[in-house]
Amino acid sequence: MPAAAESAPLLELRAVAKTYARGGASVAALREIDLSVGRGEWVAVTGPSGSGKSTLLSILGLLDRPTGGEYLLDGERAALLDDRTASRLRNRSVGFVFQSFHLIAELSVLENVETPLLYGGVPEREWRERARRCLERVGLSHRADHRPAELSGGEAQRAAVARALVCEPALLLADEPTGNLDTVTGVQIAALLEALNAEGRTVVLVTHNEALAARSPRVVRLVDGRVVADERRA
Amino acid sequence: MTSARALLRLGLRGLLQHKLRSTLSILGVVFGVAAVVAMSSVGEGARREAVAQIGALGIDSITLRVRPAADRGPAPGLSLRDAETVRRVVPGVVAVAPLREAPLPAAGEGRFEDAVVVGTTPAYREAARLSLSAGRFLTDLDLADGKRVAVLGAALADALFPMGDALGQRIQVGSDWFDVVGVLEARGLARGKSGPIRTRDVNRAIIVPLPALDRGGDPRPEGVDEIVLRVAEADQVARAAEVAQRAVERSSGGAALEVVVPREILRQKERTQRIFNVVTGAVAFIGLLVGGIGIMNIMLASVAERTREVGIRRALGATRTDVAAQFLAESSLLTAVGGLAGAVAGLLGSALIQRWAEWPTAISPLMLLVSIVMALVVGIGFGLYPAWRAAHLEPMEALRN
Repeated sequence: MPAAAESAPLLELRAVAKTYARGGASVAALREIDLSVGRGEWVAVTGPSGSGKSTLLSILGLLDRPTGGEYLLDGERAALLDDRTASRLRNRSVGFVFQSFHLIAELSVLENVETPLLYGGVPEREWRERARRCLERVGLSHRADHRPAELSGGEAQRAAVARALVCEPALLLADEPTGNLDTVTGVQIAALLEALNAEGRTVVLVTHNEALAARSPRVVRLVDGRVVADERRA
Repeated sequence: MTSARALLRLGLRGLLQHKLRSTLSILGVVFGVAAVVAMSSVGEGARREAVAQIGALGIDSITLRVRPAADRGPAPGLSLRDAETVRRVVPGVVAVAPLREAPLPAAGEGRFEDAVVVGTTPAYREAARLSLSAGRFLTDLDLADGKRVAVLGAALADALFPMGDALGQRIQVGSDWFDVVGVLEARGLARGKSGPIRTRDVNRAIIVPLPALDRGGDPRPEGVDEIVLRVAEADQVARAAEVAQRAVERSSGGAALEVVVPREILRQKERTQRIFNVVTGAVAFIGLLVGGIGIMNIMLASVAERTREVGIRRALGATRTDVAAQFLAESSLLTAVGGLAGAVAGLLGSALIQRWAEWPTAISPLMLLVSIVMALVVGIGFGLYPAWRAAHLEPMEALRN
């Protein structure tokens, strides 16, 4: 998959660090991360647990702020964004897929997929149509009116992908998307994400899954909050 | 930002998830508002009764009466001369009427009724602000000749002559016969037993010329029970009452006078009312405070158990304000429902108080509105902290929850 080197990278991290204060002691989750991801790229982030993968992903998704260094999302300096702007970027430019799906249990699948539209200020009459289209896209139209608890793991993750897509974001961030799924279902979800990547969406995914990492054109390996390897495969 | 409608829907959904819990949590607000509405209705009822009573007497009127002697001996009493003195010396006086009264049975067309017979002068009409629905009032000529003519109160006229016009009929009062020359207009009177003011029910009165009232065996046939006067401006009453009292006490040789000044009584009642209102307000405030704490408690629980949801919504693009607004919508909705339920309960309570305790109650729409608005303010006020907490959850932490 071609890295769009001709234009500015979609994501750019310069010496990004993140330290947490834990009971007086400070714990460094990320140290001096330099990373740049171009538009349309597919990057797998791997590493042992506690290596800072999830922290990195939450910084990329503007859910968390670095304590050092600089992060630019689509040319915007994350540190300078106020809550409203950051929230709007999360809403429009970033789609999250989580290991444990994170669907809202009280809402139907369709309502879950509609939720980002509420915060995107999309007129209510368009919600249904847009959400249905995304459900169709992930092959879950028949489950639209079910509750998340009634879905299988694979279906729940499809619903989550549909929700991530509904605002047409340029960037998909997936945190162990196959971690709670059996191998076959995991492969299906990975294929779904690959198809979305093929449409030009940038995908950054954190994974433990060696098979999934092996399929990735680019693998960034973190150990103890540092990038120890950044490999591209043709 | 999200639309208010979407927020309310979210809030409603949150509440319906825990119907029992939501219901229990608003009970404090319900009782608080119900207490305000019911208690203020009692206060308002008392106020309206006082106003009606005083209205019946006249805000610009003064009544002088001899205080009954403790030993029941013949009191010095008032006289026609005292009335004349009052008319001369009191500043701003418009009308002065001396009064004698006697409870006597009255008969007309074979019907018998108990009536209050009032012997007075033509000035009484002006002094007591009476208006006629038919015929005429007493005249100076009636007075001079001691004519046996009578003006009937509206209720009494109806009672004695249910079939038709009382005007021109003859009635028997005590042992004497009187011609009915006039009928008074019905006057709205205060309900209930009146407190410090003795209001004469003019609707059941028979008004006759002073000399024509024969009380039989009267120790003081020339005496007067009461002097009623009216002044031109309501704010003259205090001074007028003072002057009248001093003048009459001097001329009647030291009789102890009871001076009834409706305006002063109204003021006193208003003062008592104010104390009642403060107490009511304090009780209501405590009630709502307790209700508010209940709301805050339930909202904190709601935020705690929906931490993950908050994280999800933040990841999907909700701002802190959106999250806060969602929880605020929930607490406001909760208290709005509680406020309305409380208002209904208060109205019901007010009706029951009137029914069983027989206290007059009245609902002031303003009070109703104020109590519901207060409930809303409590909902928003006590919902602020939980909403703030929810808004300031760290999204990543919240998602790990």
